[in-house]
Amino acid sequence: MSSLAVTNVSVAFGGVHALSDVSLAVDAGQIVGVIGPNGAGKTTLLNVICGVSRPDRGDVTLHGTIITGWKPSRIAGLGLGRTFQTSQLFPGMTVLENLMTGLHLRGHTGLIAAAFRTPSMKREEAEMRERALAALDFVGMRAFAGRSGTALSFGQQRVVEIARTLIGEPKILLLDEPAVGLSVPRVAELDTLLRRIRDERGVTLVMIEHVIRLVMGVSDRVIVMNSGRKIAEGRPDDIRRNPDVIEAYLGRQGDARRPAP
Amino acid sequence: MLVLSYLLVTGITTGALYALVALGIVVVYKATEVVNLAHGELFMMGGFLAYTLHVMVKLPYVPSVLLAVAGSFAIGILTDRVAFRPLMKEGLVSVLLATIGISFILKGVARVLWGGKGDYLAFPPLVSPEPMRIGNVMIMSQQLVVLLAALAVMLVFAAFFKTTRAGKFMQATASNPKAAALVGIHVSRVYMYTFGVGAAVAGASAVLMAPLTLLYPDIGFPLFIKGFAAAVLGGLTSVPGAIIGGLLVGILEQLAAGFIGTAIQDVSAFIVIMFALIFLPTGILGMRGTRKI
Amino acid sequence: MRAVVSHRALLVVLFAVLAVLPVVANQYTLFVGNLLMLYMILALGLNLLVGFAGQLAFANAAMYGIGAYGAALLQVRLGLSYWLAAPCGAVLAMAIGTLLAFPALRLSGIYLALATLAFAQFTQWVLLHWNSVTFGAGGFPVPQPEFSALGMSPDRGIYYVSWVVTVVLLAFAWRVVRSRVGRAFVAMRDREMAAQALGVGLLRYKAMAFALSGFYAGTAGALYPAVLAYVSPEGFDLFQMVLHKAMIVVGGMGSIAGSVIGASLLVYLLEVLRQFKATQEIVFGALLLAFVLFQPRGLVDFLKRSVPGWSEPLHYASDSESAFDVAVADELVTGSRGGADR
Repeated sequence: MSSLAVTNVSVAFGGVHALSDVSLAVDAGQIVGVIGPNGAGKTTLLNVICGVSRPDRGDVTLHGTIITGWKPSRIAGLGLGRTFQTSQLFPGMTVLENLMTGLHLRGHTGLIAAAFRTPSMKREEAEMRERALAALDFVGMRAFAGRSGTALSFGQQRVVEIARTLIGEPKILLLDEPAVGLSVPRVAELDTLLRRIRDERGVTLVMIEHVIRLVMGVSDRVIVMNSGRKIAEGRPDDIRRNPDVIEAYLGRQGDARRPAP
Repeated sequence: MLVLSYLLVTGITTGALYALVALGIVVVYKATEVVNLAHGELFMMGGFLAYTLHVMVKLPYVPSVLLAVAGSFAIGILTDRVAFRPLMKEGLVSVLLATIGISFILKGVARVLWGGKGDYLAFPPLVSPEPMRIGNVMIMSQQLVVLLAALAVMLVFAAFFKTTRAGKFMQATASNPKAAALVGIHVSRVYMYTFGVGAAVAGASAVLMAPLTLLYPDIGFPLFIKGFAAAVLGGLTSVPGAIIGGLLVGILEQLAAGFIGTAIQDVSAFIVIMFALIFLPTGILGMRGTRKI
Repeated sequence: MRAVVSHRALLVVLFAVLAVLPVVANQYTLFVGNLLMLYMILALGLNLLVGFAGQLAFANAAMYGIGAYGAALLQVRLGLSYWLAAPCGAVLAMAIGTLLAFPALRLSGIYLALATLAFAQFTQWVLLHWNSVTFGAGGFPVPQPEFSALGMSPDRGIYYVSWVVTVVLLAFAWRVVRSRVGRAFVAMRDREMAAQALGVGLLRYKAMAFALSGFYAGTAGALYPAVLAYVSPEGFDLFQMVLHKAMIVVGGMGSIAGSVIGASLLVYLLEVLRQFKATQEIVFGALLLAFVLFQPRGLVDFLKRSVPGWSEPLHYASDSESAFDVAVADELVTGSRGGADR
């Protein structure tokens, strides 16, 4: 059984078919890259998987449970994490607090426990702090724990955001263009980080990405989309030689030729 | 039958004025995605300016009206300068709070200048208060004048957007600010004039309404709520929607007052807003854009 | 550790002064002190909803009124004792406040603001016109609870009740915002989508924020008839709405200490300007405007920067995503910002 399966999903926005009959399956422990020109439906696909958009047809299955139409927060509870294209750190919090918010689902403190500062609440809070610091260690950002998220550089924000999602121990992590706006050395670091997340944490990764070099280097499998359809799927080497893919990219040069750092 | 026709005529007349208030709200919202919470106070200032010029300074009616509308326009521009332009990058909460601040400043200023709480100023009637009879319908000549004038304001408004450069710029900016900027339209200046035009329409409606009602510093907010109800009914971004919404609110209010009780009149707009926002998310013409979720 | 406590020290000193006030102050000062505590509760509740959870709602004055009328009418109409009526009033306001969370799920920004504003005006209208229950525009007198068993006058007795309630609610708010719940509020305010992706359920936390703020406003309302011995619709009108908003903006949105500071400062001004309604409007409107423009993070931000020991973790919203990003970007294209209006 695959960890994540999308079966015959279609989505239309006001007559425009953002996704047409897309199916895919992701096996545990893999890194799957999703590429395709702008408007190919990649972000829509991601939004459908994590519950932000509801598909017109088709289903999404997570660990054997059909999650179509669930609220995003409920899907998150089932072990699906995601990051966003633009920085989504909470600017009103420190980096540490951001990380601790990533542990939201692991906590139980409600209003009453917070009001009385019950021993279990204090224990939970201390434990969250420890784990948040450990997660910052994992990405090498511990020194920034007390800073405001907005004080970080673009690349640092991205890394903290990944750590914030990772800390909730998702089984599957969806990444929406993690390399966008990163400098060349930063992309190399990201490459290493993604491998470590897979190997050390055993997390399955699904990544939308424009930086072809990163996708081809790190992915176990690559899915290519164009105009709302899946046009190819396979190992990076096969994808490189696939005539449909070459066609799709040559048809719209902009994205494939985007300067890959 | 006579009662019903009377209620309808009154409803259409006040509805036309609500439509003008709604127009101002819609124009500003379309361009800036902000509702100016001081819009009602701009209306109130327009009315008091006209009163000052016409009754106190004893200027003739037409120049008083024109000057009052110009004054409202200026206050609208001031609102843009003070509350919108410096804050638009800060977000909606800041802009809304700033416009509330302005609304209270204006209200306080009006109270200082034109009398304290409970001082109601009467604007002299424009024409003889004798009712006229057209067929089976009784109509106050005053109402007829107001209705025609409101129609005239709407026409002037439409002509402004269709024919003038500034109007076209505003339309272009409202539909796509990015494209407008790229073709060289000075977006922030357009926003400024948009606030001005919205306020001028509010001022014009205040001048028209003044002879029908009394002027007092707290008149603005209820009018704003009614205008907003009309705008929301029309989808908040549609000019024809705002006009239809205004007429609907006006008629509904009169019918509620006539058949249920006058107390209901004041509250019908709130009920319309709550109902429209919950059950008619796209407005009666289905023209509201996708709402941020 | 000494330096760390200064924001707490301020609150401790403030409440110590309030505690001894009845011993030294005259009747009028006592009344103002009591009013101040009511406004602190109101500002705290509103700040939880607007400043922390980011829900721009305008129904705070209405919840205040519902709490006050609930507590007062249960006594006058049904003959309940104050000690039973007051909690009922607070809970009623909380229940109605919670209901507002449902439109808040579908509406956001301007729509939520105006729907709640309409609701507040609707409440005001009910208080004014439902004569057979609410006594209409003139209001009605309410007997003050007795404290003769404790050898205290009603004014002094209710003052101490308010003091205890305020301290409890202040501590409660303080603890809530520093907990998992508080982080969920701020997350929801700053980035709603990301909050959801981390498992923060919007319905749950919006409902919680509205319920909390309704409960705070309702509690302040429930104390109101006991403090003033009179209830009328005027006490819960638009001006109150602006007053509460100004308190949290002046003090600092997303700050507990800020709520207390803002309330203190504005109640002082309110008393100075008591005679002049127009001046009140101008001054509070101008304060609100000036702080939004020039010190949007309120006085606490200033304190945080200038008082070394001020260590309250501030959760003010900074440069949150706004609908105007596009517009700002476009102005950069035309070069009209910065070099604007030569």
